[in-house]
Parts: sequence; structure tokens; C-alpha cells
Amino acid sequence: MSDERDKVEAVRTAFTEEFAPYADLRLDGMSLSDVESLLRGLGELKIKHSGKKSAIAATMKLIGGVAPEERGAFGQLVQSVEKEIANSIEAAEAGLNAFILNAKLERERIDVTLPGRRPRAGHLHLITILRQQIEDIFVSMGYAIENDREIETDYYNFDALNIPEGHPARESQDTFYTTNGFALRSQTSTVQIRAMERRGVPIRIIAPGKVFRRDTPDMTHVPMFHQIEGLCVDKGITMAHLKGTVTEWLQRLFGDDTITRFRPSYFPFTEPSAEFDFSCFKCHGTGRSDNDRCRPCKGSGWIELGGSGMVHPNVLRAVGVDPTEYSGFAFGFGLERMCAMMYALDDIRLMFDNDVRFLEQFR
Amino acid sequence: MNISYNWLKDLINVELSPIEVGEQLTRVGLAVEGIHEFGNDFVLDIDLTSNRPDCLSHLGVARELGVITETPLNERAAKYREVPLPAVLAGEVVTIEAPELCNRFTARIIRNVKIGPSPQWLVDRLEAIGERSINNVADITNYVMHELGQPMHAFDLDKLAGGRIIVRRAKDGETITTLDEVERTLSESMLAICDAEKPAAVAGIMGGLGSSISDDTVNVLLEVAYFDRENIRATSRKLNLATEASYRFERGVDVENLINASNRATQLICDLADGSAGDLIDIYPVKKSAIPVISNDISGTVRRLTGLAVAAKDCIRILSALGIRSSESETDPEDQLREFLSPTWRHDIAIEEDLVEEIARHAGYENIGTELPPAYGAGEYQANEQRLKRLRQTLTDTGFDEAISYSFIDTKYDGKFKTVPGISQTDLVTLNDSVIEGAVRMRPTLIPGLLAAVRHNFNQQRRNLKLYEIGKAFSAGDGYDELPNEKELLAMVLTGSETYEDRAMTGRELDFFDAKGSVEAALSAAGIENVKCSADMIDHLRPGQSADIKVGGETVGYLGRLSDEISATNKFRQPVFVAEVNLDLILDADVKTVVYKPLPKFPGISRDVSFIVKRNDVYSDLVAELETLKGGHFRDVKFVDIYEGAGIAEDERSLTVRLEYRSDDRTLTEAEVEALHDQIVKTIGEKLGIHPRI
Repeated sequence: MSDERDKVEAVRTAFTEEFAPYADLRLDGMSLSDVESLLRGLGELKIKHSGKKSAIAATMKLIGGVAPEERGAFGQLVQSVEKEIANSIEAAEAGLNAFILNAKLERERIDVTLPGRRPRAGHLHLITILRQQIEDIFVSMGYAIENDREIETDYYNFDALNIPEGHPARESQDTFYTTNGFALRSQTSTVQIRAMERRGVPIRIIAPGKVFRRDTPDMTHVPMFHQIEGLCVDKGITMAHLKGTVTEWLQRLFGDDTITRFRPSYFPFTEPSAEFDFSCFKCHGTGRSDNDRCRPCKGSGWIELGGSGMVHPNVLRAVGVDPTEYSGFAFGFGLERMCAMMYALDDIRLMFDNDVRFLEQFR
Repeated sequence: MNISYNWLKDLINVELSPIEVGEQLTRVGLAVEGIHEFGNDFVLDIDLTSNRPDCLSHLGVARELGVITETPLNERAAKYREVPLPAVLAGEVVTIEAPELCNRFTARIIRNVKIGPSPQWLVDRLEAIGERSINNVADITNYVMHELGQPMHAFDLDKLAGGRIIVRRAKDGETITTLDEVERTLSESMLAICDAEKPAAVAGIMGGLGSSISDDTVNVLLEVAYFDRENIRATSRKLNLATEASYRFERGVDVENLINASNRATQLICDLADGSAGDLIDIYPVKKSAIPVISNDISGTVRRLTGLAVAAKDCIRILSALGIRSSESETDPEDQLREFLSPTWRHDIAIEEDLVEEIARHAGYENIGTELPPAYGAGEYQANEQRLKRLRQTLTDTGFDEAISYSFIDTKYDGKFKTVPGISQTDLVTLNDSVIEGAVRMRPTLIPGLLAAVRHNFNQQRRNLKLYEIGKAFSAGDGYDELPNEKELLAMVLTGSETYEDRAMTGRELDFFDAKGSVEAALSAAGIENVKCSADMIDHLRPGQSADIKVGGETVGYLGRLSDEISATNKFRQPVFVAEVNLDLILDADVKTVVYKPLPKFPGISRDVSFIVKRNDVYSDLVAELETLKGGHFRDVKFVDIYEGAGIAEDERSLTVRLEYRSDDRTLTEAEVEALHDQIVKTIGEKLGIHPRI
């Protein structure tokens, strides 16, 4: 059977020769098209050297010339060569395909660190953000939100608030008037009167809104700004409730370690009256932050926020409430001032320039 | 107001350091804003509230400090008592012709004074509190005002015609040149201190130049008086002249402190300027008595209003230290009913609550408890707040920044913008004046404010903008005496292209339909779904790209591209789209409740059809006509595309819509749909006189 064996070996040799370019493939540095043409060549090789019409398949027909006792061994030889050829081609194919797949993935590789395609989102105004936060706190504390007129009669802006004609606060040059004698409200306290007329007592409200003062715009003044007024009238309300309420909402806004300070003051519509300060949210009252004088509180540790007091009996009487039966507290503060301190703004006019570069810093 | 620490120590023996004094005063309501060193002294800057004119002097501050430290004032502050000249003789020098404006007037003639510089201690004291030294007599009057709170004026007696004083109303048109060398015209409403011929001073405000102290002055007439507060305030406003004196007189000085102050000044003039003093002239035509404040139970009221427990005896101790005397019932200590009389230097104690504040601030606000009021009820937002919140959120999410503009705008915008229904375009609200040049109009529209914002941002090279504002607009009330009309509006402005975060390249350029879509999205978020637009001519919008915004058939605002004229005025070189809606007209509408519609069981089939329409035909007419054919298997119509250009005549467009067909009980066959679709297209074509594009 040595003839037959030789023929099989000749087939093997012929394949090995033709397969040589694929035998020990070094694909590094090759281009995708070179590898693709290699794969095409390999395809042709595969057709030629495997399958029923291949030279190795033809050698099986020689088995008739092999002694019966050697046929088993011959068959094994043919099969092993056939297998060897198929394996070689398959391995080379796999290598080429892997290269091609990799090359294609590589070609479609993206830079995942590029910015996402994210439509630009807008921004609420700083005043709205703060107003909504404070409203949420007060609603959760049982307060109703009130809203009311911005142009008022002298009665609501002054008289009912115990600021009679001739009172310095009224004669001051602060108030804008319309040509037919109405006032742009100079404080949101007007809503105390309107709300008590509408709702009666007991009452718990806060009233955010615009107020107007005849201040020429500069870094610390604007002729229009926003205030929030709070009012609580019931039987048995004391200044302790005022302190508790103001402290509570400031703690909810700035954290539990916030402390408040009430200083005697004067407002026509409250008696006794107090101004309230809170410990600086940045330096927590130490007056120093970032190894320097704390910016929001200017190193004092305190932030002066607003005015407050027990509702003046004349204000209660103006809305038909008996001040010997009911008592209440009121407080008010400016949102621009608060924002200016919270964000260390050096120029309050930025609030009304509507400069997008400013607006988009807050969310 | 500046207070010298050393000067305070002249008036009261305090052991407290300047910083401690500052803390203690702040604690009781005299807010010490700052303390600075001046030579061997410290100066406290006190921010006084307007109800405490009694503290506009070292005496007043010392008094508060005395209550805090329970220390009596030094006797010195209350010396120099003398017997006044009999009224008969006094009348020869001073006459009060307007007692309603001058409650009390004292004068003293001091002869043979030598005008010259003040001694160094006096100069130092004045400079410490920021005052400038002039000459010894002028400095002394200034010094005593800052010490005792009583303004006073020194005349050169020899320059007073007739050597006498008449306190009277000025004659209309009478003039006086005041110390600041300004000639001022007086009127009968003003009080003047006159000599026999003419005004020599504007009472309580400023002396006249002619009768003022000069280096040659030998004889001085020292005026120390009390004037009607309202009148001083009114005169000061009318003359636009506010002085240290008028500031104190209009807030109220101590009428019983006049002689004390006069004596103190007299003594100093005699000591420092070698003068010899004559008798005191004191004309006090009407003595007002204080109105007592009645309290049934002062301790109880303190507790009721502040929660502080202060025993009655402690209340009375604090009040009496402040000079507020009580009619204590000696016989019955159980009797809580008391009358309290406030001292003549306090003008702010009128009711029991005022007493409560006095007690509370000295008992210490820091000792008031901190507690929440008892539970009450559920809180609530404004009726429309949740809808507004969603509207705001939707606009924010779709790229709009929220603007807030001033409510007053320039008159140059008058009539240029069509105002939304509910706000008059012609009956505007006007301010008497403004602090911003020209801005006296209460805005009837929010759009000028947004356009100003666009200009501002263009100048900062931000050219892709979406802004909105929610705020009030104003127009006149129904009658002259009616309060103005206030309506809450939503205004929007869009210009440039779509933008992406952190990407320099912009997206599609914004057009009318972005503006329209934003209006629809915003109103939809607020629960308003049936928003329709119809073409209209709008003052501030470009013809052909302007529309009424309608909700339920009612016009609620306007939308479109800004007119070429307004764009040119603003130097806008790119299209700007604006919209404005009266929210008050729509936010009260009920939100439709949602009812579930069963999901289709069988698939629908869609067919597109393009109609050739005239350029002035509108989509809404086509839809309206198609709507009438709905029912049966024809279910829905949606816009696909509108095309003009090649292949379409100049005056025409190709309008493509997608019609949906579906059955509830089976899958429709192609042939069925084809037949139905052809039928609908034919019907529509005939009704509207349009043809499908072949």
C-alpha cells in the first residue's frame, strides 16, 4: 500500500505548500483590505482542498488497491489528513475573521467621552427657586399661600397698617404713586389686611410678592424686589411662637444647627417688634470660612434677614378682630437680599438683567 | 448716629467695655453697627429706629444703659437750675404769635462773649462723633445737642432788629438767606423766628446768615425751644432742607429738657467764651400733659403677648427705670389696675403693647421661648400654583430661562404692542415719576421687558435664546378712582437655534412653530388642551406670521414673529418670536378629568394623501372638514408635511395628511381601506375644491 500512502502524502505536501502563506499568519500592521483579500484566497484554497471534489477526497477511492488488512489504517490516514487540512483552514479562517471583526469594531469605535446630545434645559429664576422652597416649607407647616394686588390704595398700604397720615414712614420719599393717587405697595404687609378681610381669623398665611420702593438702582438697591410676608393670628399666639416659627423654617432651609437671634426694633404694624438674624449658613456663626473672613455674613457670623413682631392691635382692629381676644405675629423679609447673601452676589441688579450667563448658574 | 464712649462715661458710671456696651445696647434695640477707635476714645455707631428720638443724644443712650445696668445717671446731667425771668419782663424780649406751632420757647441773653476757637477737649469730642469745629459758641450749641438731645440756636443779638424775637408764621413770599448761604422763600405754613422786622431763622431747621454768630459777635441770644413736629417735618420737606435740628424736632425732643439744655449751654459759654449770662426767658403757653396708659394686668399682658413670665414688680421696676411712672396702689398691692405715665422724652408710648415691648426688650428677647404654635390645619397653595408650577417646569425642561423684569417700562413702548384681552392698550397706569429715566408706565405687556433681555444677551454674544416671564400687567381701572386692573400674564421670546448642553454646534433654527409648540406645551402642562391659533394682524407682529391664541374659541393672547419695524428699532438681525397670554383668563378653567379609552384590538391602516391647496387655504379648515367625516372606520387625521417649490405652482402648496382607518371587530382589508380612503379624498376634494396631488 505504499503507493497509495505516497499519493496521500503527496496531497498533504501539495496542500502544505499552497497553505504556506496562511500557515503562520502575522496579521499585525496589515490593512483590512489586505486581510479581506487573504480571506478570499483562503476561501479558494478551502474549495480546492476540502469537500467531495478535493484531491484528498479522491485518495479515498484508492482504498480498493489496499490490502484488506491495511484498509483500516489507510482509511485512518486519509481521514487524518483530511482533518488536518480542514483544521488548518478553519484555524486560519478564524484568525482572519477575528481580525476583520476587530478591525470593523475598531473602525466604528466612538469617543464615549464626547458630550451627550442633551437639549439645553432652561432655568427657573433664582427668586422663583427660593420662593418655591420657602412656600413648600410653610405649606407643610399648615400655612396657606396668599397672593394679592401690587397697586394699592393708601388704606391698605398705610392706614390699615397703623401708618396714619403724617407718619414718617408714610411721608418718606420711598413710595411710588400713580398719577391718580394709588401706591405701588411698598411692603407685602398689605396682604395681611386683604387676607384677614377675606379669611377672617384664625389665620396662617404667607404672602410672597413684588414690592416697590423709590430707590435708584445701584449695587445694593433696586426699585422693585420681592418679599415674603408671614402672618399667624389665633387665640394665645405669643412671641415665643414667632421665634419658634421663624427658627423652624430657617432650620428646614439651612440645616438643624441654624440658630436665630431676635433684636428689639420698630415697625408701625407690630408691637412689640423685632428684627431677626440667623447664624450664617456658610461659617455656622464662626465668622470665618475658607481661612478668611466669611463672605455671606461679612465675618459677623450672623445674617440679618427681616422684621417681625406681634401684630399691632390697631391692625387687628382695622380688620374687625378684637385684640384682647386674638393675638398674632407677622414677619417679612426680602428675597433678593436673601439670595444676595446665599450666593454672595455683589450686585443685586443682576437679578433683573435677565443675563442668561447669570440665570443658568442656578437650578 | 455716633456716640462717644468717654462722653457716655461722663453721664453714667459704667464698668462695661466699649464692646460690652455695644452688645448690651444692641440687645435692647439700639443696634450698634460698629465700634471704632478715635484717639483715646471709642465711637459706637448706633442705627436707631425712628420711634426712639430720645436716644439721639448721649443722655438718651446713657439712660438706656442705666436701665440695663441698674445704675443711676450722674447728677451732672441734671444741674444748672435757675429761676426764670417773670413773664411780664420776658414778653419784652420774646413773643410767641403762633403758639400752635411753638409749644415752648426759651431764650437767654449772654453778653460780652469772646468768639474764638474751642478748647481741644471740645474739638476732640466733636471730631470723635464726626462733627467739625467752627467756633466756641457754635461748637457749644452743637455739643449740647449731642449731649442732651436738644437742638438750639445762638443769634448775634446786635443783629436782631429791635433786639427781640417774634415767633410767628412767615408771610407768603418772605425770604431768608440761611446759614448755608441759600436764599429761601417761605410761606405762611412755615414757622419763622423773626426779629422786629424779618425772619432771622427757619424755626427748628436752620438759622439765618444775617443774624448768625461771627468773629465780631459780642452779645448772644441763645434760643432753646420746642416746635410742633408735623410742622417742622412739612417745612423741612417743602424747603428740601433737612438738618440735625430738624431731624430731632420732627421726631420729637423733650419739652421738659429745654431749661436744662439752656443752662448747660449757658454755663459752657460763660466758661469757655467769657460771657455773662442774663436771666432765663421761658415762654410756655400750652403745657400738654401726657395721656396715661391703662393696664389691667401688665404682667399678664406681657405673658399673653410674649410668653415671658415677668412679675408685676419687675415690670414696674423696668418701666420706672425708663422714666415711665406708675400709679401704684399702695393700699392694695393685689390691685392690678394701673395707670402709666410716660416721660416727656418718650413720644412712642401710647398703648399697653408699647409697655410690653419696653418690658420685653429689657427682660431680654433671648429669654422668650421658642415654640411652634399648636397644630392648626392643612396648608394650601394658591389655587393655581400647582398648574403654574407645572407650566414653569415644562418651559424650564424645554430650554426656557425664567426672566423677571421691572414692572415699570418706558413710555416709548406706548401703543406699539397689542395687549392681551383683559388689559387695555390705551388706558394705561402711569407713575408720577420714576427712578429709572422714562420708566413711568406700569407695563401693559411683558414683551418690552423680554426684548430688553434679548438685547442685553445679544450684546453678550448669546444669540440663541428662549426666555419667559410670568408676572402682572396693568391697565387703568374702570373709573378714575378705581384701582388699576392687574392681570397675570405669561410671555415668551424665542430666537436663534436649538442648542445642546456643552456643544458649540447648534441645531435647527427656531421658527414660528417652535414658538407655537412652546405655547401649546406650556398651556397643556397647566391643563389647557384646546389651544387653537388663527391668523390675525397684530400690531407688533409680522403680517403673515402672526396669530391669535384661542382657548375654547376665546382669544387669550397673541403669537408670532416680531415685526420688522420693532426688530429694526432693537437692532435685531435675526428673527425673534414672541408670545403673550393672559393666564388669568384660562387658569380658572376646570381641568378635564381623564376617562380611560379601551385600547384597539385590531391594527389600524394608514394612508397619506397630499392635496394641492392655495397658499391662503389653511390646514385647520381641512381638518375641520375631515372631522365631520369621522366615525365608522375613519378614525384620525394627522399632519405630515407641507411643501412648496419645484413641481408646485407659485400660488399653491402641497399639504400632506395621514388618515387612519380601523375597525373595532376585525382587521380591515387593503381593498376596504382603499375604497374608503378614495371616497374620503373625493368628498373632501369636492367640498373644498382641492385636488390630491398625483
